[in-house]
Amino acid sequence: MRRLSVCLSLTVGLCAWVAAAPAIADETCNSPYISNLIKGQEDFVHVWTLGVEGLGDGSDKLVTIDANPSSKTYGKIINSLSVGGRGEAHHMGFTDDRKYLWAGGLEDSRIYVFDVGTDPAKPKLIRTITDLPAKTTYVGPHTFYALPGRMLIGNLSNSADHGGVTGLALYNNKGVLIGHYAMPTSTLGGVKGDGYGYDVAVNPAKNVILTSSFAGYQNYMRNLGDLIKDSEAMKHFGATMVVWNLKSMQPTQVLSVPGAPLEIRWSLVPGQNWAITAAALTSKLWLVKPAAGGRWSAKEVGTIGDPSKIPLPVDISITADGRGLWVNTFMDGTTHYFDISDPEHPKDVYTKHTGSQVNMISQSWDGKRIYITSSLLANWDKTGADNQQFLRVFNWDGHALAPAFEVDFLKEKLGRPHHMKFTAKTYGSQSLAALARR
Amino acid sequence: MRGYLAGFVLCGILGAPVRAAVDVGPAVAPRMDFIPLPAGTYSLPAIQTVGDAVLLNEHAQPVHLRTFTAGKITLLTFFYTYCVDPLGCRFARETLTMLRDRILADRPLATDVRFVGISCDPLNDTPRALAEYGASIAEDNRFEWRFLTAKSVPALLPVLEDLGQDVSVDIDAAGHPTRALHHMLKVFLIDPKGRVREIYSLAFIQPEVMLNDIRTLYLESSVPKKGRLPRDRYAFQGGASNP
Repeated sequence: MRRLSVCLSLTVGLCAWVAAAPAIADETCNSPYISNLIKGQEDFVHVWTLGVEGLGDGSDKLVTIDANPSSKTYGKIINSLSVGGRGEAHHMGFTDDRKYLWAGGLEDSRIYVFDVGTDPAKPKLIRTITDLPAKTTYVGPHTFYALPGRMLIGNLSNSADHGGVTGLALYNNKGVLIGHYAMPTSTLGGVKGDGYGYDVAVNPAKNVILTSSFAGYQNYMRNLGDLIKDSEAMKHFGATMVVWNLKSMQPTQVLSVPGAPLEIRWSLVPGQNWAITAAALTSKLWLVKPAAGGRWSAKEVGTIGDPSKIPLPVDISITADGRGLWVNTFMDGTTHYFDISDPEHPKDVYTKHTGSQVNMISQSWDGKRIYITSSLLANWDKTGADNQQFLRVFNWDGHALAPAFEVDFLKEKLGRPHHMKFTAKTYGSQSLAALARR
Repeated sequence: MRGYLAGFVLCGILGAPVRAAVDVGPAVAPRMDFIPLPAGTYSLPAIQTVGDAVLLNEHAQPVHLRTFTAGKITLLTFFYTYCVDPLGCRFARETLTMLRDRILADRPLATDVRFVGISCDPLNDTPRALAEYGASIAEDNRFEWRFLTAKSVPALLPVLEDLGQDVSVDIDAAGHPTRALHHMLKVFLIDPKGRVREIYSLAFIQPEVMLNDIRTLYLESSVPKKGRLPRDRYAFQGGASNP
């Protein structure tokens, strides 16, 4: 403490302000409220991985891989942290200070909070939240979206009938539920809500939350082959997006977007208040933007692959300049790059077969590194030889994807890799608390 | 010794704990392309209760933090007196000063609102330094604007932890703390019961919204008293809601 005292007395002050606040960072699609965007080289990629019975410990786990090419362990697994159960690990999200990573299970509705700030090379599980169904009736925590001091969670289903009607849950950063908000089932703005939920994305400059819709537990936990044959079950997919007032947390307008609109990406350019999404079942890109009279509009603007073959677009990733969009199509294992410099007319300008099945896609801030994982859902993944399970990393020069490294999650006995988040070492600084402990 | 010039330059370039890999980008003030909801037409969730701690006032007297987080509507922020970041403490101070002036124009409201600044550098920001700092910006005695520090870093840490306020310090190649202190700008809106009801990080520091939030808490918490403004007074302020 003596040394700290002396040094602080000589300190030149710096305030760390929240980076580029109005824009969503597509450095793995973070909330605009997250500090410390990694605009240089990421050091680690954390992969939230579904456990597979009989493979390794069979547990869901957070796998940490060295992603820095200058490191001796580049491309290697440096940590694997099992959570002691298998609950359909799916998505993750940082808290606003980027020190903690919340990760959810779609089957058991558990939420795990990992400390990735103290030592990102060795995340620690510090909290397990189990009260989501009991306190909200919602199950299937999907999107974890940081707000200052709290985490907004987009859910997929409910505990009553395991259908698609659900809502948003709001926790503080200590893991205490502080509110929940039902997805609308009434008519707002001339469109009837279906009550379904999926992704969450905020535009603070417009005081707006945009949500999308997928399907309930009955569908996402079911074998995909069986599901597709069940015409009645196939009717139970989301067909709406909802515009919410961020301040009041009230829905203000329902937009008709058929075909299960999934991931939402706002343009990163300040002043451009449009967002784009991909509808999984119809294989269409949709643009959401302000319309006359303070309303919002949703418009189909593009086609992904051949919709008649159901390529099933899943994750999307927008470039930092808002001019490009990566889209993975699961069924044909293809990665697409769209030129969206005119978001009204996206152009599919590059495609590459990147695996037998591909789902999540994340890019570095500079767009030079593209990360892809294979798993969609335990019961939707392919079987046999097509059940590849990997993290594949590519370098992108603006023209073609070149392999950088890959990790075989089956060979390593880890499971099915799903969502990815980046962290970086804290070069040259320490928290005040850590210094005080020295 | 404060190194004003060096601090100014560094503020514009760095300002993030993950220095080598993280770029906070150019300083951008928050955009606001909407008309805020009128006060009293929405509610704010209780995010957390503020814990108590013993801090020091500008007279070096021990004071309980809860004394300054209950009984009134409070805007609390962490700062340090020599911060020169145009979008850090300085931006918060300018925003709060403007809000103070707006609140003072609402006489009954003014007596129900206070601002509290807690230094995140208790070793440099002594009570005397706080007194000088406070005199320079909180000169209007019609409004309660308090500045607090701690007797030591360990005495401050529980407060930072409780409110999730991150503070870090740059270290040199030898591992010694050096010349840069970082914290993410946050302003906490606390109701008279001592509960955090909103947290404004940079993207949320929109003065009109903050003022309406304060008025919303005022309308929610006030028992009718002589001279208090009726609810209708605020009903029209802020204009139409934004879809």
